[in-house]
Amino acid sequence: MSWHLTHDQLHRYATHTADDVTAMSAEAHLTHCTHCRDRLPTDEAWLEHSWANLLDVVDRPRPSPLERLLGTLGLREGTAKLLAATPALYRAWLVAMVIVLATTLILAHEIPRGTLLFSFTVPVIPLAGVALAYGRGVDPAHSLASVTPWAGPRLLLLRTCAVLAPALTLCTVASALMPSVATAYEAVFWLLPALAMVAGCLILGRWLHLSVAGGVIGGGWLLLMAMFALMEGADPFQLFSPLAQAGWATALALLAAIVALRMRTA
Amino acid sequence: MTTTADPTGLTGGVRARGLVRTYGTRRALSGIDLDLGPGVTGLLGRNGAGKTTLLRCLATDLEATLGELSVLGLDPERSGERTAIRRRLGYLPQNPSFYPHFTAFGLLDYMAVLKERGGRRERHEEVRRALRGVDLYDRRHTRIRRLSGGMRQRLGLAAALLGDPRLLLLDEPTIGLDPEQRIRFRDLVSELAVHSTVLLSTHQIEDVAALCRRVLVLDQGRMIFDGAPAELVARARGRVWEQGARPPAGVTSWRLADGRYRVLGPAESDVPDAVDRVPVEPSLEDAYLLLTGSVPR
Repeated sequence: MSWHLTHDQLHRYATHTADDVTAMSAEAHLTHCTHCRDRLPTDEAWLEHSWANLLDVVDRPRPSPLERLLGTLGLREGTAKLLAATPALYRAWLVAMVIVLATTLILAHEIPRGTLLFSFTVPVIPLAGVALAYGRGVDPAHSLASVTPWAGPRLLLLRTCAVLAPALTLCTVASALMPSVATAYEAVFWLLPALAMVAGCLILGRWLHLSVAGGVIGGGWLLLMAMFALMEGADPFQLFSPLAQAGWATALALLAAIVALRMRTA
Repeated sequence: MTTTADPTGLTGGVRARGLVRTYGTRRALSGIDLDLGPGVTGLLGRNGAGKTTLLRCLATDLEATLGELSVLGLDPERSGERTAIRRRLGYLPQNPSFYPHFTAFGLLDYMAVLKERGGRRERHEEVRRALRGVDLYDRRHTRIRRLSGGMRQRLGLAAALLGDPRLLLLDEPTIGLDPEQRIRFRDLVSELAVHSTVLLSTHQIEDVAALCRRVLVLDQGRMIFDGAPAELVARARGRVWEQGARPPAGVTSWRLADGRYRVLGPAESDVPDAVDRVPVEPSLEDAYLLLTGSVPR
């Protein structure tokens, strides 16, 4: 190399005050000239920061497809990670949910009381998912996670949302395929009781293991169904009548308020 | 349960007064009084003595039934303060379990999110630091199901170390660790204990002897000893000896590799018919066994 950058040129290049032509010329020269590269002032902090960034890009684990999907939907990286880490049981529950919905839907089309069976099974499905989404015994890493700042109602609510999103979607799709359903309103006849039961489960979870709380609420629902089925003159479908829906809506509003209050104080 | 402001000024530690925890009608902890400050404290006791229950109460995982408790100067019963405690808490539970399909890095990254640790790059840097601390960095991308038991134990320890904890509660941390890893563990914990409070529950008495300047002994939910290891050993002086003949039934003893018997007893003179009796300096283990009376014949 027959020429070298002056001190002033180097300084202006390093401080980003050189004009475009000078900066490009200096950069081309520095690519080939070790003498000038050695004279270039080094910013240790910048180097360290850049190296850490580079290391993180190279070394960080590849996000799971679900994490990437949740990120695409606009969720924060940390939240997507927490949702994607929902226990393996959650995936087993998804499969079980599809099987139960498909089976009861087929029965609804094929046997005389199949519609009744479907109508009383669907509201329990989101409840079952929530009951199995959090707690000792269902979450392998619960003993580690239970003493972190996220543990408790915050994580429970996040996982409840993770469970409800697919459950409500699949239940709505399955209900729309029922033989007697003609309108969108009829396809969500189960929604208010299902949400009220989920809210009830979250509240009971304050005192009971969540899966036990889910069992208690689900048992109560079955008992209610059996009472209406066995009582003379009573029709189990009255539990989905407009009047009953108003009752479910009121119950849901009350229970949701308690859940919200608990979230604020927990 | 009520909690008072911390009068001892142990802002980095623990203060308990009359702590009681019951399971149904069974009392797992019966009126525990405890002050812990920076340094390593060993917690010894038989299975079922209440060690894990005590650790879980201090870790905000269990609520005490009665008594006063202050952790890091905060009240674990108040939700906001409980969350603040958890931000500065490291807890390694007994036999921790993990998501087996996660990698070591992925699990710690998940735990770091749960511990609200900074942005992604800072969090990842902390995860790498924790993995290096337990010598698992080279295994960072290995799925947990492929890690050995000892490696999983170290991974649990790394999870506890995330977040620069001011209070570190370790329940049987050295189970499954080989001697080299145990030395490394001791070194790591000693360094942390300069500024943090460490409570180490273990059956490995040599870890307590090597690490702790204070030892607590629980028995049936009660604190039966709280003092320096040397103080516990001093209590056993004159009550440990070796002899050639098997001592009579009712005296705690075990056969040594050279065929002689190591005998622990109320007093040397209380054991008749001893042949070649040689008094020996008691170990911390001897002292602990004498205190709890838990030697198998």
